Amino acid sequence: MNTLKTGTSQVTPLKKLAIHSTSTCSSQASAYGKCILATYTDVRKDICQEEFTKFGECLRKAMKRKW
Amino acid sequence: MFLPGIVRSSSLRQQTRAFAAISPGSSPLNLTSSSPYQVFDRKAKFLQKDRAATRDGGARSKTVDYIRTEVAERMLERFLDIKRKFNTVLDLGSGPGHFSKLLETERTKKSIMIDSSVEVERIHADEENLLTIVDRNSQEAIVSCLSLHWVNDLPGVLVQIKEALQPDGLFLGAMFGGETLFELRTSLQLAEVEREGGISPHVSPMTENGDISNLLSRAGFNLLTVDVDEIQVAYPSMWELLEDLSDMGEANAIMGRRNFIHRDTLSAASAIYKELHGNEDGSIPATFQVIYMIGWKPSPSQPQPLKRGSGKVNLKEVL
Repeated sequence: MNTLKTGTSQVTPLKKLAIHSTSTCSSQASAYGKCILATYTDVRKDICQEEFTKFGECLRKAMKRKW
Repeated sequence: MFLPGIVRSSSLRQQTRAFAAISPGSSPLNLTSSSPYQVFDRKAKFLQKDRAATRDGGARSKTVDYIRTEVAERMLERFLDIKRKFNTVLDLGSGPGHFSKLLETERTKKSIMIDSSVEVERIHADEENLLTIVDRNSQEAIVSCLSLHWVNDLPGVLVQIKEALQPDGLFLGAMFGGETLFELRTSLQLAEVEREGGISPHVSPMTENGDISNLLSRAGFNLLTVDVDEIQVAYPSMWELLEDLSDMGEANAIMGRRNFIHRDTLSAASAIYKELHGNEDGSIPATFQVIYMIGWKPSPSQPQPLKRGSGKVNLKEVL
């Protein structure tokens, strides 16, 4: 199995996103995941908008770009 | 099974018809094909396999062999249970020969490997058109180790396998079952519903274990044995799972797939995967359900059921 941090190949944007979404922004990711977990039998669009906005902001800040 | 893709600039995004029923990058539906089943984009799958086999000079492909090696070993146990010597065994969808390399010369004299990926060519051919390269009633045994889950017309391929076998010939196969990657499937679905308000295909539809015995008997096999096994692999996060799947050549090749997933959706799926399915130590599990099947081509030499009414013991007395 490859580990992202010790991989010798160059760091692609996707790998950066992987690192930031799992370690840099892990607390926001966890909050969002818990929100989904609480409602997963009845998920609708934007039901966890608030939690995701925080997660997304953290990601955009960490990636230093907007999308 | 899954293709991680990302939109790099907003100008690119405008050109991409993201929500079209058939995505622009996939090859068009083959309308002239006689097959009633068109689930997978075989052309895209061949490309993915070729790329995976050559990535980093083959090194990446070798690191992700763990599932196939494990399944090949488990399949060999079943093969060794069969007390018969074979002169030739046809290994369908062999890849680099995960199963064939385990065969012992005492039991099997020769193995012929067939695969659709050019880079690992033994006999380069499409599994879906088996009878164009193999004669009817010509093979003693055909094995297939994890190669049938990208076949569009599974009933048809099973019939072709039966036709290619000699009477009393053996078919031994292993393929991914319906529970495979259910964690990834559910996480992506939840993320897409919550972020984008709809779902699209990312993890292949897979055969349920109950259907396999029906398919085998429909194809005309005798003396069926079907059993199911699960392998669970722990990954640090969803991203490593996706990378490994792509290195295995198992990225998404469903007809009408979307060619990218938005980063927000992908990040959301990663967060959901961890909270919904994650292990206590922070890793995430991925389930691979494998269905093993054994079938024999009918032959008069095989044990037959006795004639009706020939029983001498009354079952009522036994029970």
